[in-house]
Amino acid sequence: MKAPVKYSILTAGLLVAGAVRGTWENRLDAEFHAAGLLRANVGANTRDRIGQTSSAVALGGLRTLVATFLNLRAFTFFTEQRWGDVNDTFETIVDLAPDTGDYWETGSWHSAYNASYYYRYDANLPPLRAREEWRQAIFWGKAFLERGIRNNPGDWRLGNALGLLLSDEKKIVDYRGAAEAYQKAADTGKAMPFVTRFVVYCLARVPGQEAVALEKARQLYTIPSNRTSTLLCVLFSLEEKATPSSNPEAHALALFGNPKAAYQALSLYWQSRENFPLDGVPAALQGLERRLGIPADKSVLSGKESGKPGAPDWLKNPSLIETESTPQAAPPPLIGAPTPRPSR
Amino acid sequence: MDAVPAVEIRDLVKDFKTSLRKEPLRAVDKVSLVIQPGEVYGLIGPNGSGKSTTMKALLGLVAPTSGSCAIFGKDSLKVDSRDDVGFLPENPYFYKHLTGAETLAFYGKLCGIRGRELKDRVAELLVLVDLEGARDRRIGGYSKGMLQRIGLAQALVQEPRLVILDEPTAGVDPIGSRQIRDLIMTLRDRGITVFLCSHLLEQVQEVCDHVGIIFRGKMVREGRLEDLIAIEDQTEIVLQDASPALIAEIQALVKRSPDTRWLHAGKPKTTLERLFLRETSSGDEP
Amino acid sequence: MSAPNSRKLPFSRVRRISVIAGHAFTQLVRMKVFYFLAIFALIAIASNFFDLPQHQGSEATGSHGMDVLRLIKSWSLGSMTLFSVVFGISATALLLPKDVEDRTLYTILAKPVPRLDYLMGKLLGVLLLLFVSLAMMDVLMTAMLQVRTSMVLSHQQDMADYLKWDQPARDSVRFETLANGPTWGLQAAVAAVFLRSAIMASVALLISTFSSSTLFTTIVGFLIYFIGHFQADALGGGDTGTSDAMRHLSMVISLVFPDFQLFNIIDAIIQGKTIQLLEFGKLVAAACYYIIVYTVGSWFVFADKEF
Repeated sequence: MKAPVKYSILTAGLLVAGAVRGTWENRLDAEFHAAGLLRANVGANTRDRIGQTSSAVALGGLRTLVATFLNLRAFTFFTEQRWGDVNDTFETIVDLAPDTGDYWETGSWHSAYNASYYYRYDANLPPLRAREEWRQAIFWGKAFLERGIRNNPGDWRLGNALGLLLSDEKKIVDYRGAAEAYQKAADTGKAMPFVTRFVVYCLARVPGQEAVALEKARQLYTIPSNRTSTLLCVLFSLEEKATPSSNPEAHALALFGNPKAAYQALSLYWQSRENFPLDGVPAALQGLERRLGIPADKSVLSGKESGKPGAPDWLKNPSLIETESTPQAAPPPLIGAPTPRPSR
Repeated sequence: MDAVPAVEIRDLVKDFKTSLRKEPLRAVDKVSLVIQPGEVYGLIGPNGSGKSTTMKALLGLVAPTSGSCAIFGKDSLKVDSRDDVGFLPENPYFYKHLTGAETLAFYGKLCGIRGRELKDRVAELLVLVDLEGARDRRIGGYSKGMLQRIGLAQALVQEPRLVILDEPTAGVDPIGSRQIRDLIMTLRDRGITVFLCSHLLEQVQEVCDHVGIIFRGKMVREGRLEDLIAIEDQTEIVLQDASPALIAEIQALVKRSPDTRWLHAGKPKTTLERLFLRETSSGDEP
Repeated sequence: MSAPNSRKLPFSRVRRISVIAGHAFTQLVRMKVFYFLAIFALIAIASNFFDLPQHQGSEATGSHGMDVLRLIKSWSLGSMTLFSVVFGISATALLLPKDVEDRTLYTILAKPVPRLDYLMGKLLGVLLLLFVSLAMMDVLMTAMLQVRTSMVLSHQQDMADYLKWDQPARDSVRFETLANGPTWGLQAAVAAVFLRSAIMASVALLISTFSSSTLFTTIVGFLIYFIGHFQADALGGGDTGTSDAMRHLSMVISLVFPDFQLFNIIDAIIQGKTIQLLEFGKLVAAACYYIIVYTVGSWFVFADKEF
């Protein structure tokens, strides 16, 4: 067979084989995409940002590898407080590795917590400007997290992180949104138990949702492991709100089991507030103080709120939680990392 | 003869394209030859005359432009035809990292021989080509003569009825050359057909019984060697320990015959090769 | 004469191919290029043993640990990809030209060896070597990963003890860590790396049947590899009003050249996704389709090639 004829036949053969291939390849491709095994292609922006060689590696080999190295770079930007670069890098990272929940969480955390704090307190900006940057940073973090949830609906930690961000009383303070986020996280079926409790805590703080919150709280109460002091306090208040009792102290004793536990839990609850319903708490506290013989000048009800052992301190010192355990020596501070919270 | 010819080439033509514009080069131009089983056939000609191409066409390495080639009746373009043939190419290389025995085993396995039979065949062939001492040496360490011999051994591994040798003694020293020629004789004695091509004419003369001369792609002369090189009108008589008186008598006898002419009397010469072999052979292998 | 009759048996065909494959294997294993590439890849994987100087001291819980595991996986799989593609292409590229140059091809084809058997034997030899090498690297990677995962797990255990977590919390974190450690999905990723390089080897075989230069075959092979990855991007954004000629060209390219997009599942697996056995089977079938098409093409070109 002459060469030109031969090569024409070969090319024709390959074309035909390729056409046949198209019939099942596209289907298989779609199947893999649906199963989450394949992702949309790396966008032109990303390719620009990561440069030629990295593009080659990312496209020719492993996007996750490039993402890993970019993650290192992002950390360096963080230590240098180059917030714009941090955001840009994380945009690229999640383009390359959108299935890794960690990247979404960390990217959002850097903006909503670290960058916002910096703008507000450290940047020496004029107050209005500082406030604007602070706001923008928080919203960027929120949007980033929401995008992450859309990409990874099955990842409970992202929902948890969003809930945490929205219920942060120093930031946006959107309890309804937070409750929804926590609920979505819980709905994945993989979330840790405290997430369902957090749904209740948030709903309890949404005006008009107290009845729903009470219902859920009662459901949670039926499981002994859910009876954390916070849940008991919230349940107490919600029940008092729904049907005010004539003897809150007795109500509290019934819930908590003993006066000391009741007093410790409720006094902490009273002091930290955080917009929780407080129905019946003062009355119960008064009764408990009388019962336990606490002098009036040491009463928690007197005067100002104490130095907020609320969210910020609580974030730093996890020993202020379970009443059963004796407080440990304070562990080294976690830099407000959005890791799973121990039960409250 | 009634037997199927070992080799039958009919009007073989092979053209090669040199470049797009020029005429194709005709390497082989209507060559025909027939080799009967048991013959030793020598195809001789200068470099570039088409010898190798003819062989390759016979082995199916090259497709004829027209004409046909057959080995024991089977078309050369089919794999079947290679059941009965062994080939030793010109200046062969074998895989350097294999030993002599491993090389033969490799080719044996390719032909479907295995196990005990393979082991025995390898041993037998190594003895035949006198390479037993080097069976475990890497091919990379073989001399030219050894390479040719191992090449001949691999050509014989599946006990073919036809063996094709392309320049079997080219570049080999006289001792190795002698060995190869002796091997060819042994093959002939076993009834194996040998088809060789060479431009070392003296060596061809010694082993072949049929010869074809090919020049510029055409077969110019063909036939039994004896017939081709006999000088028709001369007779040679070789005597041992003949006295001068006897020679004078014979001479007188010839003078009496009217048509016969006495051409030459004297000592026949040995050849340089025989002298060399006599002086250098000590029975050891190179 | 046992040979001619036994040659026709189907099993003898398999045996013949395996003789050539085994021979190609030993030939390639002895080459320096193989040693260098393999040792480089093994060192790259073993380097994961050393801690990277990142995140030291902070974020001492879960996510850092997972990060390290992900890093080990992507780094190792990256090395394996590099090794297998480079070796797959260049080793196959030199097999045929070497045999032609050494004239050993003549001695093999002068035996009753069908040309297809010869090609398949050579290709299978390369694939066998790739398989064995990747298996060794896989063992090394899995061992490293196992060690690291245990370290991360025990670290998490300590933290959990310190923070007094309950069992569900511990289980959740443990489950996630294990999903990032050595899993069957990871083995599927290594298999995908192998399949990809196998496809490239068959492409190189096809090119080498009509090109006599090892260098040409190697370079074109690498080009095809990259095009195979860019295809999806090139064609995905193809509605940007390119000319008809470009569109036709890109269509021809997409039909003839392999499309490696499917193999990006490796990325998904590194990020912790799992792949079902059925899906994996389909990927294997897809790879086999490519290999068969290119091998048949090679045979077509090689069948009446003259030497």
